[in-house]
Amino acid sequence: MSDAIVPYSPRGRARAIKGFLGQFLSYGGAQVGLVCLVFFLVVAAMPNILVGPLQTAINATGEFLEPPSSQHLLGTDEVGRDVLNLVVHGARISLTIALLATVISLVIGTTVGMTAGYFGGPVDVWLMRLTDFFFVVPSFVLALVITPVVLEVIGRGRDILGFRPSLFVIIVVIGLTSWAFVGRIVRSQTLSLKERTFIDRARVAGSSNLSIMVRHLLPNLVPQIAANGALVVTGAIYVETSLSFLGLGDPLQPSWGTLLSLAQRAGAASAGAWWYLGAPGLCVLTVSLSFVLIGNALEDTFDPRRRVIP
Amino acid sequence: MNGGRTSRHFGRILVRAIITLLMVAVLNFFLFRVIPGDPASLLLGGARISVTAEQMKAQRQNWGLDRPLFPDQAVDYLSATLRGDFGYSFKFRGRRVADLIVERLPATIVLVSLAQFIAIVCGVMLGLYAGWRRGGAVDHIATGASLLLYSTPSFWVAMILIVIFSTALGWLPGYGAYSPGVSTRSLDQVLDYLRHLTLPVSAVALGLIGQYVVVARAAMSDVVTEDYMVTARAKGLTGGQMLMRHAFRNAMLPVVTLITLNLGYVVAGAITVEAVFAWPGIGGLTVEALNARDYPVLQGVFLLLGASIVLANLVADLAYGILDPRVRQ
Amino acid sequence: MTGSSQDKAPLLEVSGLSVDYGLKGVSSRAIDSVSFALRAGEAVGLVGESGSGKTTTAMAIAGLLSPNARVSGGQVCYRGNRLPIEDDAAMRPHRWSETSVVFQGAMNALNPVHRIIKQIAEPCMLKLGMPRGEATARAGELLELVGIPADRGAAYPHELSGGMRQRVMIAMALACRPSIIIGDEPTTALDVITQAQILKLLGELRSQLNLALILITHDLSVVAESCDRVMIMYAGRIVEDGTVAEIFAKPKHPYTRLLIDSIPNPANGKKMIRPIPGDPPNLVNRPSGCAFHPRCPSAMGLCATDVPSFDKFGRSRVACHLHRSSQEDKVAAHA
Repeated sequence: MSDAIVPYSPRGRARAIKGFLGQFLSYGGAQVGLVCLVFFLVVAAMPNILVGPLQTAINATGEFLEPPSSQHLLGTDEVGRDVLNLVVHGARISLTIALLATVISLVIGTTVGMTAGYFGGPVDVWLMRLTDFFFVVPSFVLALVITPVVLEVIGRGRDILGFRPSLFVIIVVIGLTSWAFVGRIVRSQTLSLKERTFIDRARVAGSSNLSIMVRHLLPNLVPQIAANGALVVTGAIYVETSLSFLGLGDPLQPSWGTLLSLAQRAGAASAGAWWYLGAPGLCVLTVSLSFVLIGNALEDTFDPRRRVIP
Repeated sequence: MNGGRTSRHFGRILVRAIITLLMVAVLNFFLFRVIPGDPASLLLGGARISVTAEQMKAQRQNWGLDRPLFPDQAVDYLSATLRGDFGYSFKFRGRRVADLIVERLPATIVLVSLAQFIAIVCGVMLGLYAGWRRGGAVDHIATGASLLLYSTPSFWVAMILIVIFSTALGWLPGYGAYSPGVSTRSLDQVLDYLRHLTLPVSAVALGLIGQYVVVARAAMSDVVTEDYMVTARAKGLTGGQMLMRHAFRNAMLPVVTLITLNLGYVVAGAITVEAVFAWPGIGGLTVEALNARDYPVLQGVFLLLGASIVLANLVADLAYGILDPRVRQ
Repeated sequence: MTGSSQDKAPLLEVSGLSVDYGLKGVSSRAIDSVSFALRAGEAVGLVGESGSGKTTTAMAIAGLLSPNARVSGGQVCYRGNRLPIEDDAAMRPHRWSETSVVFQGAMNALNPVHRIIKQIAEPCMLKLGMPRGEATARAGELLELVGIPADRGAAYPHELSGGMRQRVMIAMALACRPSIIIGDEPTTALDVITQAQILKLLGELRSQLNLALILITHDLSVVAESCDRVMIMYAGRIVEDGTVAEIFAKPKHPYTRLLIDSIPNPANGKKMIRPIPGDPPNLVNRPSGCAFHPRCPSAMGLCATDVPSFDKFGRSRVACHLHRSSQEDKVAAHA
């Protein structure tokens, strides 16, 4: 990855970024993934403009479990709410949870991995032992037992940062339990970067450990973090959807997983209400697939083995 | 030849497994103490039943709750856990958590092992073939389909299966494990059970197939570019001989690891699918426990999942050591 | 072996062989009009930089061209019969039974999950139809032949040193009693002492079993110790072909001379490796005329426009405009 070392001149950096984008966008998977993702981000950004405020049992506009019609493009649920309305608002909840959880996970993973790799010795040993634990025990299993306990402790009271407390808890718990994968990759990358001369140069020049890590190591770790970040989002979506489906979501701010949970409780599958469970499911599928495709394309772009000239 | 090194390797693996299991237990211990309310009343079945002060005191003494948290309580907790004593359920009043789990485990094991078997046969074969004939029609279809399955939550697949095969076509039941009224201890009952099993097994298997195709294909496409495959070709082996004698075993190394790891993860993964079908296994128990905030049961399930994951990791490490002579060093 | 008449006819004859590689619509010529003959028991070195076409030449002879390779001209004859080198399945009976390859002994030429005895016995079972026991016994003999105790056969490749693995590769190459062995950089990853041992072993086995040897290397000094003849390749063409003695004493092509100069020789006080100036040629966009002219210290105007012909001088051949003047020699050789 010698060519991945960040060039010092701004022009060189701009050229490197341009070359990277050109290569990345040449993958069909990346194009499909980006288009889908942009679509969902736009939808998530302005649900009220697109479909009006979130419907509840009180202001529901339709009959119970109506199949799709010109009035309700995706039909209605068991209390007469418009499924399109629910799904569009769900996009905002689901994407926010997944992206925020990913940010937490990347911050922890990068910090732990970089610290372990940079300092080595007992710091490395103990941090890696911790990482091993979170690597072996999947986020879903940990979240399954931690989330209800934390919910009970903090109670279901006031909103935090505009989120119902249960959603906030889910974000934090997913973020805290899904960083191990990133931690491992960042550590191994840090180990190889540490041997490079530019780190020695910085050290000789008297830079502090923190400034070496932030100014010299971190920029060179960005490719790895970005490629794996896309996969972390997929994992976060999976965990959030599963937890919400098991009833740990919040019915007042329903994510796609919560909608599926409501559909399940209403017996949508045995009632043949395919639109009710189909719409949120397809959204989950499309968004995860987009991130998988983007992640694969990023990995292919960064992977030096795939380059014509190594 | 290198027995010392080998046993040290296995020793390290074992130590790591024990540490992980210990951390699961410690997490369980602290989560349990964090919950508001008196642990003694929790142990007696939660605040939902009234208990006398004497009962509370007895329970307190019995569990050593009047002693310091560490080390006394922690040690007691660990030794109770080791004995298989996870306390009593809130929801199923007075029933031991361990009994509940043992009762529900067989249904999950049947579901999960059947799904694993089908996924291994279909997914691994398909993935290996796609990697061997990379760029062919089978490869394109298998890769596309597995990417879709990989991105789809299996409980949603389960719901779709119900809509199609149960509600619309009416071929298979989509709820529970038995139909009411079918006579017990007869061939009818076995057939009825199998019919109930079909959709849940399919839902779990489809998710696994997606994973196996992706990994087996990647492994095989790495192997075909290896130098020893050129050697095999130079030796005048036919395509089939190259595949069976040289490519297969090398490609299976990462696949076997994934399969054994999945022995642990698949139980957790099946929880949501069991919830969809109201399958009377661990997943069903978990959902009931979640809804009733039945913490002792939840923690028992957590310990079970943790143990099965750690065990599967242990088996995966050992299996890899046996299959790949390089690791034994 | 059967008679003196067969000894005269070459064992292997390559004439005008050209091979192209197609990659995403761009075609590049890996070897261009390569011609040479190999007699039974003869040892020939094939020397050149990476990308010079030496490996493609060897792989074509062994019938191991990759699927994206295309033979665009010429042929390869073995014992007077044309080999179907483009037909993977039709080449199968030839492989290993007639021509075997000693690959670079780096770890991966041997399958990491099988014991070495099994890998040596495999061709005996599959190609010679020996039962397992007999094949294993023969594999043991072959191991002894290359200087490894037969009981080491139970080892896995990673348990052996680089030199030992190379010996295993040689034992494996001998399994079906071939007439030609191709050594593809067989000593490259080894230290100097092990390198010398392996070359000595190859030399001994060659005279013992009357094997023809094609040694592919980028290292001219390896050839000096173990070959009768050398062929120097550059940009897909043979530029000089002659006996080891002639080439080292009187190199004709400037490229050959530079190659010989670049060998470090402590005896002469030459301790530093002198690299050849300039970049290796681009095969997709090959230089006009003599492909070496951009790097050649003696290049003339003619070199950039005309492809030099491959002319015969006594027992050697060279393709260089510097040696066109001696047309008389060629005529004399013809007469």
